[in-house]
Amino acid sequence: MKALAGISMRLLALTLCALIAMTFFLGKHCSPKTRRGLDRLRSATPWTPVYAAPNSVKLVDIIPASLSGESNQDSEPFLAIQTANPQVMVASAFTPNPVSSSGNAPVYVSQDGGNSWVLNAITPVPRMTCDITHAMPTAENHPRGDLHAGTLACAASITLDESESNDVSSSSVMNVQSTRTNVDQPFVRALGFSSADHIYVGLNDFNQPNGRTATVDVSLDGGATYKSFPIEARVTSGQDGPSVRPAVAADNTVYAAFFGWRKFDGKTATSDIVVVRDDAGAAGPNSFQALRDPSDKLPGRIVVKRTPIPWSNSPTLGQERIGSTLSIAVDPNQSSTVYVGWADRGSKGNIYTLHVRRSTDRGLTWSKTDLPHTTISNATNIALAVANNGVAGLLYQQLAAGRWVTHILQSRDGFATVQDLILASVPANTPVEQFLPYLGDYDYLLSVGNEFRGVFSASNSPDLANFPQGVTYQRSANFSTKTLTDGSGNPVAISIDPLYFSVPVVP
Amino acid sequence: MKISSSYLAGILGNALLASLIAAHPQGQSTQASLAKQSSIVFSGTVSQLGAASFAGVPQSTNTVVVHVDSVLKKPPAISLKKGDNVTVELKDPAGFEQGTQATFYTDGWIFGSGVAVKELGHDFNVGGRAPASEAAPSQMEGQISDQDLQNRLNSADFVVIGRVREVRRWNVPKSTTPPRVSEHDPDWHEAVVEVQSVLKGGQVKGNKVVVRFPGRNDVAWVHSPKFEKNQQGIFCLNREQASGISSEKVGGRQVYVYTCLGHGDSLPMSDAPRVRALLKN
Repeated sequence: MKALAGISMRLLALTLCALIAMTFFLGKHCSPKTRRGLDRLRSATPWTPVYAAPNSVKLVDIIPASLSGESNQDSEPFLAIQTANPQVMVASAFTPNPVSSSGNAPVYVSQDGGNSWVLNAITPVPRMTCDITHAMPTAENHPRGDLHAGTLACAASITLDESESNDVSSSSVMNVQSTRTNVDQPFVRALGFSSADHIYVGLNDFNQPNGRTATVDVSLDGGATYKSFPIEARVTSGQDGPSVRPAVAADNTVYAAFFGWRKFDGKTATSDIVVVRDDAGAAGPNSFQALRDPSDKLPGRIVVKRTPIPWSNSPTLGQERIGSTLSIAVDPNQSSTVYVGWADRGSKGNIYTLHVRRSTDRGLTWSKTDLPHTTISNATNIALAVANNGVAGLLYQQLAAGRWVTHILQSRDGFATVQDLILASVPANTPVEQFLPYLGDYDYLLSVGNEFRGVFSASNSPDLANFPQGVTYQRSANFSTKTLTDGSGNPVAISIDPLYFSVPVVP
Repeated sequence: MKISSSYLAGILGNALLASLIAAHPQGQSTQASLAKQSSIVFSGTVSQLGAASFAGVPQSTNTVVVHVDSVLKKPPAISLKKGDNVTVELKDPAGFEQGTQATFYTDGWIFGSGVAVKELGHDFNVGGRAPASEAAPSQMEGQISDQDLQNRLNSADFVVIGRVREVRRWNVPKSTTPPRVSEHDPDWHEAVVEVQSVLKGGQVKGNKVVVRFPGRNDVAWVHSPKFEKNQQGIFCLNREQASGISSEKVGGRQVYVYTCLGHGDSLPMSDAPRVRALLKN
């Protein structure tokens, strides 16, 4: 009996040892995609999560395996989802053509819901864009979705191309439909129509008279023709801020938000946060004039008046520049509900503070103060989206304790209660910036079905502790030694990569 | 002296490529030209016809899967090695069958879990003859390729060897377009370059030129050279087109102003033999 007990104890001890060894082995050698306990799913902020943690968060470094040797600063990512088949997506970043300085700048294409991505050099810009955004609406006559892009090519002058591709998996270069110079930061949104997609490109157009530069380019014929609508009605400091952001609801309501610069001294823009609206897809003669401010009866509702926005085109927030982060999102099924978010100067020690406000009456009135949980210090790259069930999503990147921390918040009640997930927390001092923007002047968030999907850029150091929700790398990485290799075993320097994510919308 | 492994590998790659070209006397100039145009050159064996080696590549009758036997040229960022399978979009699939061995001169096409390329040309490896061993990248990280440099030299108004004597900020005169505040603001600077020799272009009066360049480290200008005082090098220059002000006075003399904006516009002196050779083409 004693002998039997001894054997049992030995067996138990052996089993325990095996389990411990297996746990250790799996921790070291299993796929980089690793799940952590629920305690790691939430941020360390004092906010109280009220929803159950999601079943599945997907986070993928989208640099393909065959580009494992690259060490570019792939910052300022963007994302388009094919609405009819959300397995198909296009992402972009400041990624150069990998083989030639005269070859076309590439985009990333996924046809399996973001699990894998390929690089396809189809934009009309040589080598690398210096701004790119896009949308991919679908309709009956183009069920595969037309990709509509706004790109800047930077050479002796800066040139905007508004272009389209009707098959992002082909190698055909996108067809340029409109081009002009002297504009900044095109931001594309679109609504699919059988006859022809409606495309809205927010941009800062220096060709507009009187320094009223905030503009929306509108095409109601799939990009065949564009018409520019200046949306600034007030006197400016000589121009508006770079960011002009449209948002489109399914009922043809189009909002746009911009920074109305009233004064600029080189370091601070004293700016109104302005929202305009059009109720007919900007098809009428007086587009974007549906909202007027009670103070001066001019088109464009002033959400916040004359707020100081720091402008710094050098590393200021960590290694990132600041000055023009802005986002607007409309409830896709309830166009009277719209959110706007921006950053301005915070208090001492707080360089850049995010704010979110909401209107539930089509932009006529706005919350007087920031929504709860949305005054966020030392943060940038705000991106808002609203899911089909009305849940609002807020993506941002915050500099905290020497790290860039990427959060996504969700709320079904105007951020009174939130679920806060940290997607990445990476050292802010490595890698050293190659150029500005370090992470991007924007990142992006979209809703599709019961998911929030988005992209952000971050250090690609293969350290699972940096990615509390787990992560998948396509490129060659060793998570045990925390090193990147070129696929042949040679070390590759840590750099900034674009990361795609999908997070289930809270019910 | 520290010599990196990629540098040595580059030399080895170039040597192998050169020996391969030399082995085809009748087509030497064609192959040399193809090798220069190509971003990826490798030798391999066709394993599948009308197929693709990874998801995301549109397969057609012109695509074949090639098992890589040796890599002769590739950019450092590309992960490609002996034993990999590459999708090649052929110009004409006639003459190719399973087991065909050839050297492929190609340009990059799609990059995913594998590499897909477009054929620029090929040499059948008769009797299985192929380069003896695998070479690593023939292009160093950050180095402009011969083809890109050739294009740049062709489009330059002037190519000079010179030394930077002065660097200063250039403020756009108020009479021109009002300055615009943008993240892409170039923050123009000027370098006064003393010209030591002209490799392309005519005489330079007074042996000095003003070169305007963006001082900003914005993404728009990341590939533009940033000049420093006493820097010596080879500079590819174009008549100023960015600001609309194409001349100014230097030492009491009105001189043309040039810009230096692109990747490869400023090269170290060590590139002089390469530049001279390319300019002869």
